[in-house]
Amino acid sequence: MPIHQISGCIGCESCIKSCPTDVIKLDQETKKAVIAYPEDCQICHLCRLYCPVGAITITPEKSIPVMVSWR
Amino acid sequence: MSKQDTQSGQSGLSRRQFIGLTGGAVGAAIGSYALGQHFLGQPPTINKRKIESAEFTTDNQTTDVLVIGGGMAGLFAAVKAHDAGATVAMVSKGRLGSSGLTPFAKGIFCYDKHNSQISLDEFVEKVTESAIDTNNPVFTRQMAEHSYDRVQELKAWGFFDSPLYNQSFMRPIEERRIPLHERIMITHLVKQDGRVVGASGFSLDSPKIIHFHAKTVVLCTGSGGFKPNGFPVCDLTHDGSIMAYKIGAKITGKEWNDGHPGSAQNSGSSYDNWHGQIEEKPSTTGIEVHHDLGVDLNYQAYNLGAPVTMAPPGAQTDTELSGGPWIPDAFRHPDRRPPMPPPEPGLAALFGKGRPSGPPGMGGEQVGGSSAGMAIHKSEGLVPINETGLSTVAGLYAAGDALGSYMSGGIYTQIGSSLAGSAVQGAIAGEAAAKQSATLPHNPISAANQRHNTEQILAPLLRERGYSPAWVTQVLQGIMIPNFVLYIKKGRLLEAALAYIEELRDHHSPMLMAEDLHALRLAHETENMIITAEMKLKASIMRTESRCSHYRLDYPEVDKENWQAWINIEQGPDGEMLFEKQPFDMWPNFPANPVANG
Repeated sequence: MPIHQISGCIGCESCIKSCPTDVIKLDQETKKAVIAYPEDCQICHLCRLYCPVGAITITPEKSIPVMVSWR
Repeated sequence: MSKQDTQSGQSGLSRRQFIGLTGGAVGAAIGSYALGQHFLGQPPTINKRKIESAEFTTDNQTTDVLVIGGGMAGLFAAVKAHDAGATVAMVSKGRLGSSGLTPFAKGIFCYDKHNSQISLDEFVEKVTESAIDTNNPVFTRQMAEHSYDRVQELKAWGFFDSPLYNQSFMRPIEERRIPLHERIMITHLVKQDGRVVGASGFSLDSPKIIHFHAKTVVLCTGSGGFKPNGFPVCDLTHDGSIMAYKIGAKITGKEWNDGHPGSAQNSGSSYDNWHGQIEEKPSTTGIEVHHDLGVDLNYQAYNLGAPVTMAPPGAQTDTELSGGPWIPDAFRHPDRRPPMPPPEPGLAALFGKGRPSGPPGMGGEQVGGSSAGMAIHKSEGLVPINETGLSTVAGLYAAGDALGSYMSGGIYTQIGSSLAGSAVQGAIAGEAAAKQSATLPHNPISAANQRHNTEQILAPLLRERGYSPAWVTQVLQGIMIPNFVLYIKKGRLLEAALAYIEELRDHHSPMLMAEDLHALRLAHETENMIITAEMKLKASIMRTESRCSHYRLDYPEVDKENWQAWINIEQGPDGEMLFEKQPFDMWPNFPANPVANG
């Protein structure tokens, strides 16, 4: 998983706004952030750094295999 | 204080109208099924739409200057346009200071004329030597000359006090009460009566179409790649240059490629590739001209195979590899090794700042494709007709990586100059746009153009069947990212790749399907990447020489007799892609007289 878990969200939406690739959305019922499109996470950590309560954990593995120029 | 008009209303388009627009998809789903299973492990389904067109509202905003993009160039464009007396609106696909490349840039070049070892003339000369004449010295000089003033303003806003830029960027915007529209993807520029009159787009958060009516537009949209892995630019998909191309702007620099490698381990993690450098505060850099981000490592990997390991600078190489990209004598590494990092790399090689932890793969195995077709900074974008970044479309300016200013040339030359160049160019374009706006009446986007844009924006959402943007992007990556296509180029293989891309262009782009706003964004981004791929392949075929970051295995030498020229691309009257050479020492000719190129 890239962005792995949001735990202890206070619903401030900082992560939603700061994600360049629109991975995180606000759950309209719980009013908390949810990981909606993990496959588009570029693992840049902006969401984690902008989160005021340290609620986000991220791991370095992509959720789908990545294309590189050679291997 | 900016004066803004806001009107809201329904888009007025029935679902039936949209379906009428989007026919032709039947029959495509069968091929999609087979390939979709292979690529994504699950079959496609009929569009399970989560949002209906009837839910969309329409918003209208009116301003003198519209700034598109919320990075370093956009910040200065908005501030300086406001300070020159115009009303300004800012719109960004992401959040101010938290999208595009800007949040990851940690070094900004600052030329202090009172404390510099070398003169501006000498600096420009050195860059030209490294760039093998491909730079535009007007923009090279402009960046250095104005960098000090922009850095002082950034200091005052608190830019250097935090690793995160949103707060410092918000300060001058809030002080000036500049309206800021975040998380809006602009998809269309509008040209009426021979000049740009605004732009249309949609919200990523709610079903809303927005039309911005503007006297002038400054594109600060960055450039892009093919959603490369290991690089934090997956939101940059050349949106600005493709929108501009569609209304007649000339585009340049498509044959150059950023040659950044990535780490073999966790190739997809940009944070880990850059060793967490994003958590550092930014700082300034001084003169240090390099010949960076070329394709030397790609050449080594192509000839010797993996693994390719980056050794510490100065280490002895065990293999003397002949040929490969030509490096000017003054910029060669002493032992003639390919791919060595500059002495103090990190994102340094990109934006600029020395740090001990090093670039991707430092001390470990490297793989290519981290950059994956990404532009060389400041060298891929709209063709400027003068030093303000005015494009070949009246009223349309560009700045930063969206402008093909060739500030550095077809190779990255000065550490930290990308961020400085964005600040400098943004400020100049913003002020010029404000001054031009003062002489112009408002010319609102016509109802017909609003309707046309709305239809095109929503089309992927209305398709019942078609292709997933994520799948098409993966196919595109599979065509463009291999080392032997866009890095170690050969005419025949470029032609072969082009055949695939033309298939995506003709058959898949018109059938991109979206179930929600997130996928709608991906659909439009994917279309932009397909057009970019066509441009990059065709420009690479046309340039029958090797220079800087463009390397042709079948034309390995620098050809100063025939290629002291940039390549400009323009859309022809029948939608065909036209190419022309523009001599290095000239601004573009008007009216254009481009030659067709297959």
